[in-house]
Amino acid sequence: MKLASGVVHGIKTRGERRLLKRRGFWFLPLLLILVLGGTAFAQQFKEFTVFTGEPLPDYPGSTIVGDIIERETGVKLIREALVGDLETKVGLMIASGDYPDLVVAAHFTSLLKDAGALIPLNDLIEEHAPNIKRLYANHWEMLKQEDGNVYWLPIQAIPYGPDTSRYPSLGFFINKRVLKDNGWPLPRTLDEYFQLIEDYMAKHPTIDGEPTIGYITLFDGWRSFATTNVPQHLMGYPNEGEFVPVMQQGRYVVTEYHTSPTAKRYYQKLNEMYNKGVIDPETFILNYDQYIEKLSSGRVLGTFNQFWQMQEAQNYLLRDNPESIFVPLPIVIDPLVEERQRDIPYVQPTQGMGITINCKDPVGAIKFLDYLIREDTQRLLQWGILGEHYEVDENGLYYRTPEQLELFRDPDWVQNVFGRPYFFNAFPSLRGVDENGNMFFPDTQPHLIYSDSTDSEKEVMDAYGVKSFSDLFNEPIFKKYFPLWTITMPAGSPAHIEETRMKDVLNRYVPELVMSSPDQFEAIWENYVRDIKPLMVEQMKVYQEGIDWRMENW
Amino acid sequence: MLIFMTIPFLVHVIIFRYVPIWGWLMAFQNYWPGKSILQQTWVGLENFRLLFNDPVFYQVLRNTLAMSIIKLVLGTVSSIILALMLNEVRIMWFKKSVQTISYLPHFISWVVAANLVRDALSTDGGIINEVLMRLGIIKQPIMFLGIPALFWWIIGVSHVWKEVGWGAIIYLAAIAAIDPTLYESAMIDGAGRLKQMWYITLPSIRPTISVLLIMNLGWVLSAGFEQQYLLQNGRVIDYARVFTIYELDYGIKMMRYSFATAVGIFRSVVSLILVFSANQLAKRWGQERLV
Repeated sequence: MKLASGVVHGIKTRGERRLLKRRGFWFLPLLLILVLGGTAFAQQFKEFTVFTGEPLPDYPGSTIVGDIIERETGVKLIREALVGDLETKVGLMIASGDYPDLVVAAHFTSLLKDAGALIPLNDLIEEHAPNIKRLYANHWEMLKQEDGNVYWLPIQAIPYGPDTSRYPSLGFFINKRVLKDNGWPLPRTLDEYFQLIEDYMAKHPTIDGEPTIGYITLFDGWRSFATTNVPQHLMGYPNEGEFVPVMQQGRYVVTEYHTSPTAKRYYQKLNEMYNKGVIDPETFILNYDQYIEKLSSGRVLGTFNQFWQMQEAQNYLLRDNPESIFVPLPIVIDPLVEERQRDIPYVQPTQGMGITINCKDPVGAIKFLDYLIREDTQRLLQWGILGEHYEVDENGLYYRTPEQLELFRDPDWVQNVFGRPYFFNAFPSLRGVDENGNMFFPDTQPHLIYSDSTDSEKEVMDAYGVKSFSDLFNEPIFKKYFPLWTITMPAGSPAHIEETRMKDVLNRYVPELVMSSPDQFEAIWENYVRDIKPLMVEQMKVYQEGIDWRMENW
Repeated sequence: MLIFMTIPFLVHVIIFRYVPIWGWLMAFQNYWPGKSILQQTWVGLENFRLLFNDPVFYQVLRNTLAMSIIKLVLGTVSSIILALMLNEVRIMWFKKSVQTISYLPHFISWVVAANLVRDALSTDGGIINEVLMRLGIIKQPIMFLGIPALFWWIIGVSHVWKEVGWGAIIYLAAIAAIDPTLYESAMIDGAGRLKQMWYITLPSIRPTISVLLIMNLGWVLSAGFEQQYLLQNGRVIDYARVFTIYELDYGIKMMRYSFATAVGIFRSVVSLILVFSANQLAKRWGQERLV
């Protein structure tokens, strides 16, 4: 009854209704004008939807580089960033057939091609994209799929030659405090590395009032390779993936390392450290956000990772806690191992940005990408505006004044005000030397690697007599096929199922190997080897074929 | 006239519940996107053979059933208890605030809620470990999320935390419909609060309880997805993987859509059997039922 009476009260009197009508009469045309005006204004822009296979907050609406790109191309991007797991997202996208105009799906790009979601780009590039044609010329043969077509543009092209970075792509990272406290030692083996951490921890049980964490290892979902890929690096290899090609009688033979003696020694060492309380007890249940949060707190002494997976934490430390920054070290299992952990910057031909069958204006899309890849646009993205974000010296080399440097050291500013991440990482870009001898990435400008480092970084480099952290490592070796991990398993094939099962076994056993009491280690190791051995056969066949093909055709 | 009013809903049900069953054909094919469903290769029962031969399947079945039943029992019992207690509260502002606070977590997505649970259970300053340690119950922090045997219960308890207030609403509504004269006469006969609860409130809402239970049985093989997906980690994977995660990892992610469909069919058929048998049982016990 209450409800009914409410409705009765809601009915307007006749006078009120007339008023409403009259008001509506004036309101409608106004609304119409607003809507029409709005669409007419919006129509000046072409719109493309784009899915970038990485998590990124929503575009702030206006950024320094974004506004210039919008003005010059007349293209507005409607973005969808990754939430959650990329493999899942790609699977769902294919199942629903709901593709954006432009798509980047990192390691899973080939699945989109297999599903017929991507259009061939050869003719489009030939006719409408002179810059893409010119700048990707070095890599063109690698990009062709079995049918001779090119379906995506790798997110990086190296048109004029590679560069070296301030940081190597991976390493055992150690807190600067530990090195400084010990008079800058240079540990070479896993045992020496953990000894340093253990001793420092005993001496300093707390940092800034919080308990010291000796070592943490990342084990969240697909990122768990930060833990399980380590044995290959301890054997001296750069990141190859789940298997390493070993040169035997003039041929690269795909070899497994998950059950190698090195792997056993690595997990046994982690086990020993875990039971001594050096390793964070909850390291295996942390998710990525918690991992970054702990690293950024400055009280973690060591972690292994690929640099890009912990760079965010390092950036925060550089800004807020420079005494606790991480220094990468080339650690191997045994002093006899030859360390070659660094890699030469390479193009990832198996992944990149593609145009989908849903795109109504492929010509417009390829022209937009052609604009993005131009040297001038790339310089804008990386260096900024001349005179405002960088300067040129008498030799024609770019540099930044201390004030400009300060701006670019703030990750929040670079993202929200400058806007680089919104047109980089997922989008085709250039790296290495540019056409006039500068580097596309300011961070790798050779005469600036050292001079643009922060004081805290310089202190470490000075102590070791190097001009970049990469110099702590040996020179990389060129391998034609490199790297193995860009070979993908055919979707749904026995090798693909085997790969998932193998990762399940790793996921289950690795925490157990590390967290069990030392006297149980041998027994668990035996079970682990028994379970994981049969799950490698098919994968190794696929990888071997891929490596042989690359050695012949690249 | 009333029949006509149901037409929109009938259409809705047909379009969204029956038409998709057409897609079940996929389970008997080797489905590959980009081709129409009739151009696919037919493989008969191959996908089901793969499913029943997979040792992981039985583990998944066990986990799904265990977590569902824990969630169902804990969820129902806690909601009823909360509803009974709220019903006895005479101070309105207190009742209202308890109700609001208890159903607030329902509106948080699991993505956020899982991080809250993770933080609360952390060994590094998590509130649960801190409280237990201050009270002197434990000496060392316990790594709750790293103990396989505990995972099911963490799922159950966090489900209760998130849904108890929401679940209580429907029981509160049922209680509100009870004729007040029943309580008056019971009071005159000398029944106290507890006796009134036991002899009047509970029997009166029994039909609601049994209908809800039967309906929820249909979801026993679902057991949720986000909750397990976001709280799991490698250490507890043997206890955390439920059907939805299995379909994702071994189906959709590998573009084995046919296999994922086969798993879905298995779930649907078993759920149907469960609902009907529960319904039959309810009928035999003379309870309220669905069909």
